[in-house]
Amino acid sequence: MVTIAVLLKQVPDTTARITVSDGRVDETAISTWVTSPYDEYALEVAIQHKEASGASITAITLGPPRADKVLKDAAALGVENLVRVWDDAWESLDSNQVQAALSTILEGVEADWIYCGKQSADRNQGSTGPGVAERLGMACIVEISDWDVTGAQPSFTRATSSGNERLAPTPPIVLTFTKTETELRRPNVRGIMAAKKANIEVVSADIGDAQVQVVAHNPPAQKPEGRKFEGAESVPEVVGLLRDEAKVI
Amino acid sequence: MTYEGVDFYDIESELTDEEKMVRDMARDWVEAEVVPNIEQACRDGVFPDEWRVALGEMGVLGMALDGYGCAGMSYVAYGLVCQELERGDSGVRSFASVQGSLAMYPIHDFGSEEQKQKYLPKMASGEWVGCFGLTEPDYGSNPGDMITKAVDEGDDYVLNGAKMWITNGTIADVAIVWAKLDGVIRGFIVEKDDPGFSAPEMTGKHSLRASVTSELVFQDCKIPKDRILPHVEGLKGPFSCLNNARYGICWGAVGAAQSCFHSAKEYALSRIQFGNPIAAFQLVQNKLAWMLREITKGQLLALSLGRKKDAGTWTPEQISLAKMNNVDMALEIARMARDIHGANGILDEYPIMRHMANLESVKTYEGTHDIHNLILGRHITGIQSFTREL
Repeated sequence: MVTIAVLLKQVPDTTARITVSDGRVDETAISTWVTSPYDEYALEVAIQHKEASGASITAITLGPPRADKVLKDAAALGVENLVRVWDDAWESLDSNQVQAALSTILEGVEADWIYCGKQSADRNQGSTGPGVAERLGMACIVEISDWDVTGAQPSFTRATSSGNERLAPTPPIVLTFTKTETELRRPNVRGIMAAKKANIEVVSADIGDAQVQVVAHNPPAQKPEGRKFEGAESVPEVVGLLRDEAKVI
Repeated sequence: MTYEGVDFYDIESELTDEEKMVRDMARDWVEAEVVPNIEQACRDGVFPDEWRVALGEMGVLGMALDGYGCAGMSYVAYGLVCQELERGDSGVRSFASVQGSLAMYPIHDFGSEEQKQKYLPKMASGEWVGCFGLTEPDYGSNPGDMITKAVDEGDDYVLNGAKMWITNGTIADVAIVWAKLDGVIRGFIVEKDDPGFSAPEMTGKHSLRASVTSELVFQDCKIPKDRILPHVEGLKGPFSCLNNARYGICWGAVGAAQSCFHSAKEYALSRIQFGNPIAAFQLVQNKLAWMLREITKGQLLALSLGRKKDAGTWTPEQISLAKMNNVDMALEIARMARDIHGANGILDEYPIMRHMANLESVKTYEGTHDIHNLILGRHITGIQSFTREL
């Protein structure tokens, strides 16, 4: 049987207001946490692949108990196996530790296809997919924007500087996905009822020591206040500023 | 900014994960499909068929019923869905209410096993649409005097009469029709192709424009004997359906009110007069505070009623109070929101006037505001005021 693992990260809602308090992002002020949008595409491909092949899917997330929601959301869409990796002693993990934790779980899952987003919507590092592939000794294709998982040989398309390339990988392999025009499926009530009964396996892992320490988070600099011009007589001034100051014309 | 709804009293913490997931599912769908398209649907006077399909696929039709393709979720979850649907438009919530509470529920609770197996799965999926025929042209608040009647003619029942103000009537595959058989009110399942049955659409509405409203006409309409609902007699049948529908309304009204409040708040913060956002003025803040107050009370009322329903302890009077109060406050909030929007409030760029017009219907259907007052008056005094001889 084909087995698929999909890596899902819980991130603040992409429209959530982020506040920084004492040099750290104040997570308690974030009202809505969601599945990282790129990971949602990975999940969509995984489900399409399952529908075509009868594969089983294991969704894996790394995070505190609140991250269970991304797994329950995945279960509502038809994912059978749910694993959350966490240790209460963990705080801010560096990329090496994240990859170590996920790789440990993936070694046990023995998935043929490992899907994840090309990067998370909060950290934007893009290191997890390639890093996990490296640790597992697998190849990795990143930023996939189209796919065909209906046949015996799935193929994946990614943009290159000279156009698109379509690739036919041999599993096991790690694939990362970017946003596409594909409409993501929504859960339904029956799926949510099934998710209610789904069991989440919580596991820990040996992740070693962090090499990277967060010194401080800083909010982005405030944008300078806009300037308002009125009347036709201000046109030459506006044009001048756009040309000489903003340098956009 | 993603729509988050009003939650001043942290109702979120009182919901189960599943209830939140179902609420979010409905919210996302409304945001993606209803909000961008509702004004056009209202202009065209149609209930888009793709919404029927989507509601069926989401599994919200009859979602609080057990078995036969229904999910068996809590009534609180169902209420939260009604809230989100009506934030989009009362017509969308009406479709789901009528299908689940008025058409599927009586089959589920009063129907035969064969009837349940035949109708419920297809209605849960949205493949078949249901409607509910109780109100007649001359009998609205006092359905007990209905004149639609059924006659036993051996192998069939023959129905004669007319029903009016029937949501989904023209598009319905199945109508639950209440008629008198030997002077006793009974429920009958009429199918769209039954001889002698027609369901012309009522036109010219200024309210619930994205909802199909119809007459049901029975002219020697012949239906097989196995289409009677075997397990209920009298007004208890339709009234128990209406209780469930009224419950959905009490949540739905909160959704419509939230839509108006959200729009009014956004408008007040962005509209500059006298050099300041109008939200800075005390009179506007007073209105916004009143809206928040009433929405919060309405939410708590709806949640409390839902928990009672799930526990099997609610009373008809509690349902009356919640339906009446929440629609009343929603209508007042719509009017207040229109005021805050100034002249802009009459444009369909904003949801205000649409909700206001819709809520005028919602105030009247499923038991008028005044009838619910009289139900409470009877509860308080022990005196029934609406059937006395003059």
